[in-house]
Amino acid sequence: MRALYRSMLWLAVAIVVGLVGACNRDTATGTGGRPRVALVMKTLNNPFFIDMQRGAEKAAKDLNVDLIVQAADRETDVERQMQIVENLIQAHVGALALTPSGSREVVPVVGKANAANIPVVIVDTRLDQKAATDAGVKTASFVGSDNYRGGQIIGEYLVKASNGRAKVAVLEGIPGHETGDSRVRGFKDAIKGSPGVTIVASQPANWERDQGFNVFQNILQAHADIDTVFACNDIMALGAIEAIAAAGKAGRIRVLGFDAIDDARRAITEGKMTATVAQYPDEMGRAAIEAAVKAMKGEAVPPDIGVRIGLITRDNAARESEKQ
Amino acid sequence: MLRHRLSASGRRLGTLAGLFGLCVLLWTLTPHFLTVSNLLNVLEQTAINAVIAAGMTFVIISAGIDLSVGSLVAVAGVVLASTLHAGVPIPVALAVSLAVGFGFGLLNGLAITWGRLPPFIATLGMMSIARGCALLFTEGRPVSGFDPAFRSIATAKLLGIPAPVFMTIAVYLLAHFVLAETRFGRYVYSMGGNEEATRLSGVNVRLHKTLVYGVSGLASAVAAVLLTARLNSAQPIAGIMYELDAIAATVIGGTSLMGGEGGLGGTIIGALIMGVLRNGLNLLGVSSFIQQIVIGLVIVVAVLIDTVLKARKN
Repeated sequence: MRALYRSMLWLAVAIVVGLVGACNRDTATGTGGRPRVALVMKTLNNPFFIDMQRGAEKAAKDLNVDLIVQAADRETDVERQMQIVENLIQAHVGALALTPSGSREVVPVVGKANAANIPVVIVDTRLDQKAATDAGVKTASFVGSDNYRGGQIIGEYLVKASNGRAKVAVLEGIPGHETGDSRVRGFKDAIKGSPGVTIVASQPANWERDQGFNVFQNILQAHADIDTVFACNDIMALGAIEAIAAAGKAGRIRVLGFDAIDDARRAITEGKMTATVAQYPDEMGRAAIEAAVKAMKGEAVPPDIGVRIGLITRDNAARESEKQ
Repeated sequence: MLRHRLSASGRRLGTLAGLFGLCVLLWTLTPHFLTVSNLLNVLEQTAINAVIAAGMTFVIISAGIDLSVGSLVAVAGVVLASTLHAGVPIPVALAVSLAVGFGFGLLNGLAITWGRLPPFIATLGMMSIARGCALLFTEGRPVSGFDPAFRSIATAKLLGIPAPVFMTIAVYLLAHFVLAETRFGRYVYSMGGNEEATRLSGVNVRLHKTLVYGVSGLASAVAAVLLTARLNSAQPIAGIMYELDAIAATVIGGTSLMGGEGGLGGTIIGALIMGVLRNGLNLLGVSSFIQQIVIGLVIVVAVLIDTVLKARKN
């Protein structure tokens, strides 16, 4: 009896899965023999990757291919991302575009794709050069903009805007994340030549808005003289803006971010934020799918496809967002 | 006792039917599911969660919970990786890593038995402490690049079957033996059923409960070995939220969160259901958002079955 009830409830689960599956059957098997390519991203909980997906979908439509978009629930979960890629290899996709959750950790699964003769285009975050060479894995191309360069751009801007005098707090991303590390390195290298610009505190706020708020609030308690905060992404910067308002210091602290998400552009237009760095994830997504389709057809693909990166300040924040 | 066993095997049969039904369904929906290479792929992907869930089963049968397993995977992993990088022979490095996992697990147990903390709180604290240790130990950076001999733990194949599958089978056989055939195993059930009665019948509850958390820590360390070999890297941020997957596999497998009943046969099926489901949803190209909803529904339904059945029984 118990087994019967249990089976009946499982049947209910099966029906749900079946319905979901049936709706997606076309993408799974390919409609009318159209080639299928897959875009595997770090997560979908970030506007950055949603924009990337949008660009990729547009390219897939233009090129007349079916696109499968998948991502792990959490940006940190490399093992899950590896599973997704393994499963897509089993589904015999024609080509893969991948934003690695870990520069070294995805190398083994890129090797598996190589073994299955599925071309891989790496997007946004580079593979670790040494790990890739050691494992002998091949990629068709890299599509992305340089996080290190972005860090430099915002650092150079600060030196100019502050006339070489600033006390800076840095809000870092998740420790050990290549993206955040590169941004901080670029920033530090850019201010190196200006002894008047000093970093007085540097703490991780794990890419999150609430932690950006709390961590910066704590930093302000310890260092009341801070006049600039550089957050490694806009989400943390927006948290810091709230902390600044709560401390009654609105307008007296420069806020620098990264990513140029819509909320940050708005904050810049309203004068609450100073500057951010724009990457163009939709262009990345489009270029990635174009490269993947070329590689699938056996056409030549450049090994490195740069996507523009630029400074956003009050001068161009509104204009840029209209374009989107 | 006989009745207890019968109802357990009946429940397991139901879950097994669920797994089987899921497989048949995926087979009809996509031609890529029922292939030898994909099924081996699923088994390989399930290994890590299955191993952690084996330890979790001990804890949950004893009416406890272990939220620290994901962080223990990270600690054991980075210790393993650093020891290997220091040039220590592989067996020694493995032993060190397993000892670290076991040791952190025992600390959980001591906080619960001697400190009288609820398991939820003690292991919640450990979740953060162990994560911090892993980050501190590596200065936040992943430790990667190992000898092919070590990597063969994840990459080797025997008769075409990946090594992690054999490792999982070995872990389950051993764990099943301990749980079903030893005195310690019987105490795990009786502590979960009625701790006070167990104490009054002369069992050293403190000792055995501490050991239960040691077993869970040990299982996490075994999972860390698999994960490190598979990714060719140990990350201090590895294993975040793995505790939830392990708890899910355990409860889908019919082990009651109230303690005292359940078993490893159910847990392995629970882990496979999660693995097959994720694999199938990927093969079908289902949106990641919908995948989360489906997996959540499966967990809730599985536990619902238990609650409904319990209510009927009483």
